[in-house]
Amino acid sequence: MRTWQRIFVSCSSAAALIALAACGEKAAESASTPAGLRVRGAWARAADSGAMTAVYFVLANGGAASDTLTGVSSPDAEITEMHISTQRNGMMHMSPVTALPVPATDSVSFRPLGAHVMLTGVVRPLSEGDSVTATLSFVSGATLTVRAGVRKP
Amino acid sequence: MMRFLRLPFLSFALVLAACGEPMKGVEIRDAEVAAPLVFTAHDGTRFDLAAEKGKVVLVYFGYTHCPDVCPTTMSDWVRAKRALGEKAAQVRWIFVSMDPDRDTPELALAYARQFDSAFLGVTGTTEELEALKRAWGIAAYPEGDTRENDYTVAHPAHTFVVDVDGRLRYLYEPGVSGEDLAKDLRKLL
Repeated sequence: MRTWQRIFVSCSSAAALIALAACGEKAAESASTPAGLRVRGAWARAADSGAMTAVYFVLANGGAASDTLTGVSSPDAEITEMHISTQRNGMMHMSPVTALPVPATDSVSFRPLGAHVMLTGVVRPLSEGDSVTATLSFVSGATLTVRAGVRKP
Repeated sequence: MMRFLRLPFLSFALVLAACGEPMKGVEIRDAEVAAPLVFTAHDGTRFDLAAEKGKVVLVYFGYTHCPDVCPTTMSDWVRAKRALGEKAAQVRWIFVSMDPDRDTPELALAYARQFDSAFLGVTGTTEELEALKRAWGIAAYPEGDTRENDYTVAHPAHTFVVDVDGRLRYLYEPGVSGEDLAKDLRKLL
């Protein structure tokens, strides 16, 4: 796995943080929360400074309990929101999403023409090889910080 | 021996199959000459669809603040252009921004060219784009609070393809692969 694909996991409990620290870099690459949430294949499109872009990934829930993604944030953009693109009657629309269920033992794909994390006003030029960070927050209290590699537009 | 004799027949069958492969786009029956599309880009390049006969022209109506569908479509165009090789010189790629409040001809051109230097990005005034919508029978309108900078714009989903005779012939769904698009474009050239 490349460096940009590494997904760093932060946990609300101090015990989990200590466990991660103890396991070091390898544990960070394991990309899962204690609840079994996992992100893989994160990437973002290149964009000029101040422009918009999107972050895509697969969010899997390997745990026994369902969870709901309710928040996204990023230090790399002025505004970070979950959005979904939909096609209706030949028109493309984009709508904000405030809660996205992630059923137990299932996964949700953030992919082009579907759900995505929208970064508005990226704070620096994003070129191929760069990376952006987005933190996902769940109803359960779990958080996942995703590092997404930047690809050509 | 028989095995070798079969090879030419197999090749012939494969060629026939390739010729008979259906187009991936939605064909517009009784296609008519496309409505006017005339713009002057930021760099002074004038584009007039009527002057492009002999070339296939792809048109996409989007906006530069579009973080998902528009760049996905532009990326598919990039792959199609690459797959076309030298034939790509006979194709024009036009991105029309339908967001006159935020986009300028300069922004539209820069947006298109970040994908490929051969792509042309254009836009017009609100009045010009309203006339364009009526002529092409399309819609595009802001969604969300336009007082904020992060409103979205509903816009046509498809890539419009104009053939070498200037007729609006095919519509392509967003997400069509560049390779499939290139295959179809070859048939239209």
